[in-house]
Amino acid sequence: MAKKLKGEFFFLSANELKSGKIVFYSKEGWIDDFKKATKISKEEIESYEKIYQAEETKCIIISPTFIEVDKNGEILKLRDKIRINGLTIEI
Amino acid sequence: MYKYSQKDKTLINERVEQFKYQVQRRIEGKLSEEEFKPLRLMNGLYLQLHAYMLRVAIPYGELSALQMNKLAEISKRYDRGYGHFTTRQNIQFNWPKLIDVPDILSDLSSVEMHAIQTSGNCIRNISTDHLAGLTSDEIEDPRPWCEIIRKWSTFHPEFSFLPRKFKIAVTGSSADRAAIKFHDIGIKIVKKKQTTGFEIYVGGGQGRSPFIGKQINDFVEKKNLLNYLEAILTTYNQLGRRDNIYKARIKILVHELGIEAFKKHVDENFKIFRNKDLDLEDSFINQTKEYFKLPNLKPSKEKIPFSKDINFHNWLMRNSISHKVNGYSIILISLKPRGKPPGDASAEQMKIISKISEKFSFSEIRVTHEQNLVLPHVKNSNLLEVWSELKKYNLATPNLGLITDTICCPGMDYCSLATARSIPISQKITEYYQKFDKQNDIGNLKIKISGCINACGHHHVGNIGILGLDRNGKESYQITLGGSANQNASIGKIIGPSFPEDRLFNAIEKILIVYKENRKNSNEDFLSVFNRLGLEPFKKEVYDST
Repeated sequence: MAKKLKGEFFFLSANELKSGKIVFYSKEGWIDDFKKATKISKEEIESYEKIYQAEETKCIIISPTFIEVDKNGEILKLRDKIRINGLTIEI
Repeated sequence: MYKYSQKDKTLINERVEQFKYQVQRRIEGKLSEEEFKPLRLMNGLYLQLHAYMLRVAIPYGELSALQMNKLAEISKRYDRGYGHFTTRQNIQFNWPKLIDVPDILSDLSSVEMHAIQTSGNCIRNISTDHLAGLTSDEIEDPRPWCEIIRKWSTFHPEFSFLPRKFKIAVTGSSADRAAIKFHDIGIKIVKKKQTTGFEIYVGGGQGRSPFIGKQINDFVEKKNLLNYLEAILTTYNQLGRRDNIYKARIKILVHELGIEAFKKHVDENFKIFRNKDLDLEDSFINQTKEYFKLPNLKPSKEKIPFSKDINFHNWLMRNSISHKVNGYSIILISLKPRGKPPGDASAEQMKIISKISEKFSFSEIRVTHEQNLVLPHVKNSNLLEVWSELKKYNLATPNLGLITDTICCPGMDYCSLATARSIPISQKITEYYQKFDKQNDIGNLKIKISGCINACGHHHVGNIGILGLDRNGKESYQITLGGSANQNASIGKIIGPSFPEDRLFNAIEKILIVYKENRKNSNEDFLSVFNRLGLEPFKKEVYDST
């Protein structure tokens, strides 16, 4: 996964296996609030890949993904913003 | 409608138990995601942008009041209180938990429903005309044939791992309301020398490479329908590409071989199959037809009650169609009200539709491929009461066939594959053209919106098609004109470079100005004017003055 990444900073996100809920990796483990997510630099990606692989094996999460953010932790891509902030429409 | 046999019930219940065990093993780590994914997909369970999504099959779009009520309950109990009716006459729940899915499937099985073959490289839900059996322009009701095909294709061992997904549509009428020429196989019931049989089209589809289906056989006898389908699917299974997902659909195979060469292969296979195991006997056909008999409708001269309310008249004008039995009407319930995602219905709305159908439409409901619902048999004398009830729940928007009756895929709001949002575009169109007189003045016009090149919003066949793209990280929208999914099937032509969202609506306005200035009279619809004028005048107006 790391080879495809272009940015400098990232959040590690995934879906919780049992519920499908979106979660973010933080010092406290997987959490709902992306504001508390750990900002990961490009150089740290490989070590976090090992973390998510272990979490996948333990059946905690699925579909791990690195979300590109800027140095202030602002999310850059619209898809990721929707994924984190929820639908842009009224249901 | 079709009723499950004991065999059907056993099959579905065993499948529920099987999936329950698979989920348990996945959660316990005895199955990896790689191993589990094909199993969950075979049961209609996807992982989308935000959460899991469960697609439930509604065979040929037909629902009972009881089933609709169960869908309402499921959406409330296990999801977020709404469901999304799709362009293939199914329903999707966007937020189920994996651990709840076995219970959802169990609840579905209690009303003879399931999610089997709503995903994966197999034969998907058979779709048909939402007016099947209701209109006098029909040669024969296509639903029994859909059911016969459904039985044959469910768990078909040879066709469970095709090169790619496979969609079949059937129509019994010369007016194609099932988009048969945009399916892998399109079947049209025809009459030749007093004998009823089937005209077969193959290789139609949308996606990144749209093709209009080509006629492969102008008359297949009834008894040989399954033999012929078996021959086509076998040919596809043998020759379809499995090395490249973008070239794996049958449309590419038919296009690359040419229809004549493809037909030769099919004919060779048909020689093997015809007059053999899959022959359909009259007794079986007639037995299947029994399930689809119309309810006991008594022809009458019943009149529509008088009302001074102009909204009632507008609704009657747009959302009702004459039934073939005098005294009854077919009611189309719009799921495109102002400010809501096309095709969505809340649990409350589903419950009320269930109740209304029970009281006024013999407990029958249909789903259209244009993401609306149908009450198939409403007595004319009940129309005012039905309208009043529907209106209370925001279900009486009088816009069928008009500019605000858009087809729209879930787009980037839900879908991992989307390159742009599509629902907000649909909502802005609905907002801008909300006044009935404004949209009625434009007349019949199909706008179809897709959030990516996979074309789930059918933009290729929109009279005005809108395709959402990603241009350097920004949403951008490309317009196509002149598409149609009806009997005169056509693929829309790209008008030119795409627009950012803030310029899209201006472009649509200009297209409509060209249409209105050039129509001969108010009855000449957008597609007719486009076919007469061609692309140029529209392109000139949109780009020269932008």
